[in-house]
Amino acid sequence: MRLSGYEALFFWIFALAAIFAGLLTVMARNAVHSALFLISSLVSVAALFVLAGAEFIAGVQVLVYVGGVMVLFLFVIMLVNVGAEERGRDEIFNKQKQVGASLIFCFLLVAGVLYAVSQGYKGMQARNPPNADAAVQQALRDRSLAVGATRSSRITLDTEKVGSSLYRYASLPFEIASILLLVAIIGSVMLARTLRQEVSADDVDPETLQEEKALDPELAKLEPKSD
Amino acid sequence: MLNLLIPTLAFLFQEEAGRGRLSQTWDAAAHPDLAKFLVIGALLFIIGVAGVLTRRNIIVIFMSIELILNAANLNFIAFSRYLQEMGSVNAVAGQIFTVFVIVVAAAEAAIGLGIVIALYRNKETIWVDEIDLLKW
Amino acid sequence: MYKYIWLVPLLPLIGAAINGLLGRRFRFSEQLIGGIAVGSVALAFLISVAAVYSYGFGGHPHWPNAYLTSQDGFSFDWIPGGAVSVNHGTEAGRFALLNIEWSYQLDPLSSIFMLIVTGVGLCIFVFATGYMHGETGFYRFFAYMGLFMFAMLVLVMGSNFLMMFVGWEGVGLCSYLLIGYYFDKQEAANASRKAFITNRVGDFGFALAIFGIIATFGSAQYTEVFNQAKSYDIELLGHWGVLSWIALGLFIGACGKSAQLPLHVWLPDAMAGPTPVSALIHAATMVTAGLYMVTRTNVIFQHSQTMLLVVALVGAGTAIFAAIIGITQNDIKKVLAYSTVSQLGFMFMAAGVGAFVISIFHVMTHAFFKALMFLGAGSVIHGMHHEQDMRRMGGLKKYMPYTYWTFFAGWLAICGIIPFSGFWSKDEILWNAASTTYIPLGWLVWLIGTIAATCTAFYMTRLMAMTFWGKERFHEKPEHHEIHGDHGNAVHVPHESPRSMWVPLVVLAVLATIGGFIGIGAAFKPITGTDHPGGRLHIANWLRPVIWDPVTREFPTGGEHGLVAEHPAPATETAHAESHWFNLAHAVDNVVRDHWVTEVLFIIISLLVAGIGIGLGWLFYVKSPNLPGIWAQRLRPLYSASYNKFWVDEFYGWAITRRVMDAARGVYAFDSRLVDGIVNGLATLSRGVSRVVGGIDKYLVDGIVNAIAAFIKRLMSPLLRAAQTGFTQNYALVMVLGLMIAVALFFARDIATMLQKMFAS
Repeated sequence: MRLSGYEALFFWIFALAAIFAGLLTVMARNAVHSALFLISSLVSVAALFVLAGAEFIAGVQVLVYVGGVMVLFLFVIMLVNVGAEERGRDEIFNKQKQVGASLIFCFLLVAGVLYAVSQGYKGMQARNPPNADAAVQQALRDRSLAVGATRSSRITLDTEKVGSSLYRYASLPFEIASILLLVAIIGSVMLARTLRQEVSADDVDPETLQEEKALDPELAKLEPKSD
Repeated sequence: MLNLLIPTLAFLFQEEAGRGRLSQTWDAAAHPDLAKFLVIGALLFIIGVAGVLTRRNIIVIFMSIELILNAANLNFIAFSRYLQEMGSVNAVAGQIFTVFVIVVAAAEAAIGLGIVIALYRNKETIWVDEIDLLKW
Repeated sequence: MYKYIWLVPLLPLIGAAINGLLGRRFRFSEQLIGGIAVGSVALAFLISVAAVYSYGFGGHPHWPNAYLTSQDGFSFDWIPGGAVSVNHGTEAGRFALLNIEWSYQLDPLSSIFMLIVTGVGLCIFVFATGYMHGETGFYRFFAYMGLFMFAMLVLVMGSNFLMMFVGWEGVGLCSYLLIGYYFDKQEAANASRKAFITNRVGDFGFALAIFGIIATFGSAQYTEVFNQAKSYDIELLGHWGVLSWIALGLFIGACGKSAQLPLHVWLPDAMAGPTPVSALIHAATMVTAGLYMVTRTNVIFQHSQTMLLVVALVGAGTAIFAAIIGITQNDIKKVLAYSTVSQLGFMFMAAGVGAFVISIFHVMTHAFFKALMFLGAGSVIHGMHHEQDMRRMGGLKKYMPYTYWTFFAGWLAICGIIPFSGFWSKDEILWNAASTTYIPLGWLVWLIGTIAATCTAFYMTRLMAMTFWGKERFHEKPEHHEIHGDHGNAVHVPHESPRSMWVPLVVLAVLATIGGFIGIGAAFKPITGTDHPGGRLHIANWLRPVIWDPVTREFPTGGEHGLVAEHPAPATETAHAESHWFNLAHAVDNVVRDHWVTEVLFIIISLLVAGIGIGLGWLFYVKSPNLPGIWAQRLRPLYSASYNKFWVDEFYGWAITRRVMDAARGVYAFDSRLVDGIVNGLATLSRGVSRVVGGIDKYLVDGIVNAIAAFIKRLMSPLLRAAQTGFTQNYALVMVLGLMIAVALFFARDIATMLQKMFAS
C-alpha cells in the first residue's frame, strides 16, 4: 500500500493535523474548544480513511461520529454549564503525581508502540515481500473502475464491498448492533430523567417518593391519577 | 546515550542496507505505506490515554476516549487496505469492524453522557476528583 | 362372545371405583350406589353366561380346550421376566423364559366359578341393597364388595398362578375390609385382623408353592405347568418328592383360605361383619377359592399320594370337628359359620379321595344353599331387629313366610334329602370316599363323613326348630344383658323383610332345589339311561377335560360320548398297592355281588343318617325340649368342649400370641435398657467432649486468630487504605500499568533480545 504523489502529500497534511488536533483536545482549557478540536481531529482521520481507500467508512465517520456524537457532546457541555468555571481560575489538570505518573507511562507506551510497529512491519515485509506488481495491478484495477457522472473521477467499489459483506456475512452482528443501539437509547433516556419526569411516569418507589414530596411539595401534583 | 537514541530513531525509518539514510528517509516520507498509518494511529492512541489519565473535566475525558477509539479505527482501515492489496479474501472485514466500533462508540457516548448528566444533577460538579465516593 | 370375558372382572371393578371414589364426594343416593353396584355385577353375570354358552355350546365351541384371551382378546405383558433356571423336576438345569402375562382363561373349571361368583353374587348384592339400607357407609360397603368381586374373578379367571395369587390376596384384603366394616366395634376389628393374619399364614405356604412351581416348571401359566406335570412319575405313599412339596404348600394356602384345621379359627369370628358379607365371602366364594386352587392343580395333587391322604384326612377332621361345635352354638350366624367349615371339610374330603369333579359340584350346591341360608339368617336378624341369639327366637314361621319357606328348602338341601341339590353332591362324596382307590383309609373318611352328615342334619334341624318352629320366645326378657343391653325391656314384633331381600332368597331357593340335577350320579342309571345324563350339561362331563386321568396320563379330551369312569382307576403302578388297602365299596361288592346294589345301599345309608339326624333334632327341640339340657349334663365334658370350640382359640392365644408378645416384650426390654443405654451413654460422652472442645476453641484457637488479625490490621491497614482513593483516574492509571505489564510479559523474549542487541553493539 504505497501512497505516492498527491496522496502522500495529503497523507502528511492530514496526519499531522490529526495529531496536532488531538493534542490540543487534551490540552485545551475550554471544554467547547476541546470539542471543536476533537471534531477537526475526527475529520482529519476521516480524510485518512479516504486515502486508505475506505470512502464509505469516512462518510460514516463524519456523519455519525462528528455529526452525531460530537453534537451530543456539545449539548451535554451546554447542559452541565462548564464555561463559567473554566474561564481562568480552576485547574484543568490533575494533581502532579497523577499527571507525572501518566506521562511516564505514556512515554513508555510510545516507545513500546513504535518499536512494536516497526518490528512488526519488518517481520511482515519479510514474510510477504512487497512486489512492484501489486502497485501495477492496483493501478489496473483502478483504471477498470466505472467513470463517474462528471467524468472527473471513478466510482470505487468500496461501498459495494462493504455492503455486500455487511448484510450477508456480518448480518448477525449487524442485527445485534441494532439491538445494542436500541438498548442504548432506552438506557440513556432512563438515565437522564429528572425526578419530576419519573414521578409523572409513576416510576419512583413509594419510600423515595415520600421523602422527595417532603422536600418538594409540588411533586404531589405531578403524580398520575390512579384509576 | 546516543547509542540508545539513534537506533530508537532508526525505528521510524526501517533501515535498509545499501542506501543512504537521507534518501531512505525521503523515500519513506514520499511514499507512506502501512507502517505510517499504524504509527499515526498509535500516537493518537497515546494522546488519548494521556488525556484520560490527566484531565479533570469529565467531558474531556470522554472526548479522549473517542480519540482512542478513532485510533483503533484507523488501525483497522489501514490493515484492511493493506490486506486488500495482499490479496486476502476477507480484507473488507476491517471496514466492517470499523462500522461496529463506531456504532458501539456512539452507544457508549450516549449512555456515558446520560450518566454524566445524572451525576451532575446529584453532585453539581464535573470535576472527577470531587467524585470520590469509593474512597476507603 | 367369549372374547369379552375380560369385561367380567372389569365391570365390578369400575362399579366399585365409581362408588368408592365418587360415592361420598358427590353424595350418591342409596339407589344410585346400589344401582351401580348391582348393575355392574348383573352385566358381568350376563356376559359370563353368554361367554360360557358360546364357549361350550356355541357355534364353534372351544370346549374342551381352554380359551385364553391372549389368543385373540385382551392380554398384556404383566411381568416380562427374564431367564429363570429350572432347578427341580425332571428338567433341572435348563433355562426357561419367564414371561408372566395378564390374560384370562376360560375353561370348564373357571366357567363354573365365573357363573357361581357372578350369579350368587348378584343375588347377594340385591339382598344387600335392602339389608344395608340406612347405613352411613353404604357406598363403602358396595365399593368393597365390588372390589371383592373383581379380586375373586381375577382369582378364578386368571391364566397363571400369579394372577391367582393376586386374586387370592385381593379377596383376603376385601375380607378384612368387609369383616371390619363396622370398624368402630372392637369385636369386628379384632375379627378382621384375625382373619387377615390367619389367611396370611396360609398365603405363605401358597407363595412357597408358587416359587416351587416356577423353579420346577419354569413357567407360571397353567397350560405350561400342567403339560409338563403330567409326564412326571406319581409319588407313591411314603415317597416325598418335589411335587409333594408343591402340593403341601398349595394345601397350606387352601387351609388358610378355606378355613380347614388348624387355620379355621377366623371363620366363625368373621361373622362380626354384615350378613351379606358372610353370605358372599364366607359361604359361597372366598372360602371356595381353596377348592378352586386344589382342583386347578389336581395334576400335582394326583401325583402325590401322601398329600391326597393328608387332604382327605384334614378335610374329614375339619368336617367332624366343626359339626360337633355347631351343635351347641346359640348365635344363628355362628351355627351357619361352623356349618360352612364343616361343609368345606366335605369338599376337601372329596378332593382328597380323587373326586375333584364332585368337590366342585359340592362347591356349587353349597354356594346355593349356604348363601340362601345366610341370607335367610340375615332376613331373620333384620326382621328381629338385629337379634342374633336363637334362644330368643322361635315361631317365626308365621311372621316371615318367604324367609321360612326358602330357608326350609335350604335346610332340606344341606341335610341331603333327595331330590334337593345337597343330596346329589353329598351322596357322591361319601360314595367316592368309600370306593376310592387313590388313597388308603377311604373307609375311615367315609365313616367320619357319615357321622359329620348326621351331626349336620341334627344341628340344622335344631336351628330350624329354635328359629322358626315352636314357642315364640322373643317376648321373654333376656337372662343376661349380653347382647341387647340397650334395648331394655322393649319387645319387637318380627316382620317380613322387604322385597329386595326375599326375592333373592326365592331365586336361591329354586337353585338349591333343582341345582343338583346337573350332577345326577351313575347310581341312577336305570332311570336316566346313562352314567351321566345331560351330555355336556352334566357337571362330570363338563369338568372332565380339567381333571387329569392317571390311567391315560393325559387330560381327557373326549366329547359327549366319552364316559367318565365312575371311580377313576388308579395308575398301573398303584395296582399292586390297591390290594393292600381295605376298600369298603369293594368289600360290600364282594358281599352283595352287584355293583349297582352297592351304590344304592350307600345312598340308602346316607339318606338314613340324614333322617336320623333330622329325627333326633326334632326330638330334642320340638318334641321334648328338656332333652337337650339332660344330655348336656350327661355328656358334660363333650358338651363343654363343643361349646368352647375345643378351646382352639385359647390354645393359639397361649401358644402363639402370648409367646410372641413375650418375645416382643423381651426384645423391647433389651432394646430400651441395653441398646438405648449405650446410645444415651455415648450421647453424654459426646456432650462432655464437645464442652471441652468448645472451651479450647473459644479460648485457645480464637485467641490465636484474633491476635493474627490484629497484627495484620496494624500492618496493612494504612497501606491498603491508601490504594482506595475513590479517584477514578487512579484506577485508570493502574489499568494502563497493568496493560503494559501484560504486553511486556507477552513479548518478554523479544524485549530481552532487543535489549541485548542494543547494549551489545
